[in-house]
Amino acid sequence: MPQPVVELDDLHVTLGRREILHGISCRLGVSGSGRAIGLLGPNGAGKSTLIRTLLGFHTPSRGRARVMGYDCRKQRRRVLERIGYMPETDSFVASMTGVEFLRVMGSLSGLPAEIALEKAHETLFHVGLGEARYRTLGTYSLGMRQLARLAQAIVHGPELVILDEPTNGLDPAARRRMLDLIRQMKQEHGMSVIVCSHLLADVEQVCDEVTILRDGLVIHHADLEAERRQNRRFVELEVEGESARFAAALEELGAACVREAAGRFRIVLPLDFSLDQLWKLAADHGVSVRRLTQRRDTLEEIFMKAMGLLRQTPGEAVSNQEAPAHGGL
Amino acid sequence: MAVYKRGYQRYGGPRAPHLERLMVLPREAWRRLMAQRVVTALLALSCIWPLLCALFIYVANHAELWAGLDRDFSRILAVDSAFMLTFMKVQSVFSVLLAALAGPGLISPDLGNQGLALYFSRPISRLEYVLAKMAALVWLLSLVTWIPGLLLFVMQASMADSGWALANWRLGAGVVLGFWLWVALVALAALASSAWVRWRLIAGGAVLGFFFVLSGVGVLVNAIFRVEWGDLINPLRAAYGVWCVLAGAEMPAGLSLPTALLALVLMGTVLSLALERRLRAVEVVR
Repeated sequence: MPQPVVELDDLHVTLGRREILHGISCRLGVSGSGRAIGLLGPNGAGKSTLIRTLLGFHTPSRGRARVMGYDCRKQRRRVLERIGYMPETDSFVASMTGVEFLRVMGSLSGLPAEIALEKAHETLFHVGLGEARYRTLGTYSLGMRQLARLAQAIVHGPELVILDEPTNGLDPAARRRMLDLIRQMKQEHGMSVIVCSHLLADVEQVCDEVTILRDGLVIHHADLEAERRQNRRFVELEVEGESARFAAALEELGAACVREAAGRFRIVLPLDFSLDQLWKLAADHGVSVRRLTQRRDTLEEIFMKAMGLLRQTPGEAVSNQEAPAHGGL
Repeated sequence: MAVYKRGYQRYGGPRAPHLERLMVLPREAWRRLMAQRVVTALLALSCIWPLLCALFIYVANHAELWAGLDRDFSRILAVDSAFMLTFMKVQSVFSVLLAALAGPGLISPDLGNQGLALYFSRPISRLEYVLAKMAALVWLLSLVTWIPGLLLFVMQASMADSGWALANWRLGAGVVLGFWLWVALVALAALASSAWVRWRLIAGGAVLGFFFVLSGVGVLVNAIFRVEWGDLINPLRAAYGVWCVLAGAEMPAGLSLPTALLALVLMGTVLSLALERRLRAVEVVR
């Protein structure tokens, strides 16, 4: 059975007299798969508390949390050896140069001395701070400090990187660079990544799955990759010409069509059906396609629905209600 | 291949042992301490008194140098508990001055920009962090306290009669143990002030205040209220009392060993609690 990256079992966390996490149980990601998990939720949902519990900053009052199979409380050192953490707050040691900072952080994570220095240089070039590596961190701009914080999180080559609001306060170019780096981390270096962010567009761009928290509970988990795959099957079509025969031909090939108005259809395509085939079929039946839209459930829709602010996403309307009915023309 | 051409590769080789990782912090702290000229200058200045004491021991053990002088002069040149206690008193002042200069730069730079979360998200505990930072300061203070003290003892033992070392072993043990206690207290005070006060000058002043102002307050309390519990907040008197016992000398009047020990334990506990309260990865608003 594949090892989950994070495994929570009835996790309760109390800070002071207030219980922040109310018994979360879930499994996130698969160890070594190089997937990114988005952690979403409104302010006060418990995202940061969950991350800090994984890092051992907070002790669970009940239940347990495991990272890569290691208990966060009892095997804290083993857990932290495998994690790279980029905090949300502007954390740095102002008097250190970029290279010193990364060398110290790498060494503390277990890199041998000579390797730590080499990796410090390598990582700073990787995140785009190569030219500024001998400057003290206090002289860096906000965006540069953000990159330095990312660099310190990956300098020791961790299996899991936890990024807390990685794109906060970045200009568009720096934001794009940060997202590219996160993508590289999972795709090229096989790291598992947990991204905690309020910016749904960022999470949508880099994450393969999302977990949504509200009031200290997990209220939704979605596999974005599967959703994206599934979304490709839903098509909204507007045609001109003899559409009845065209629709019948589509159904013969296994597609489910729902007629909405004259010449307007919602179609659920079979898995092996490509859009090229659809264009060819339309040409064969003398139908001209005026508009073709592939439906795309946005993460915002998923999020809003989980929050109870939206009843259903548009995709569900087709897949759950209309498609099984095979309305036809 | 040049680093900038190589690109990032995840490290998958063997990891350094835990102790080796921890040593990064004291090494880094030591490098920073030695980069401060004023610390180096004071360190050099702190070596003058031990050198004078060494000269004293040399003269005391070479009777031919003062052969023509008064007979009573030999009593003044005795290397005994009074000599060692004087040496310790002077060096303890230098150690406090050094701690006031070097201590504030140890923790406050990490705290100033919320850097602690970065340290504590690595496989080190808070206690290990404190001990690692303390190690640099302890080493610095050792250079002006028990190490020269022990060297003076060894010097005297090698120059005096063969029976001297055996007869005066308490002097050697006293200077080492007494200074260990002292160095631990001074280092704790310096770290606590570094953790609580951001500005170096004020943090340094707080260290001096802890030892000199608090001692003055303790004396005043005893004098005004005609009590003895003022000794509990007098680190200088408490430490001196313990040194006297260790060196086999008489305790200062009105001070007992249990009171002196209790005072040192109390002060150490308060300073440790102050550090514990401050050194957290994240501040929890309750």
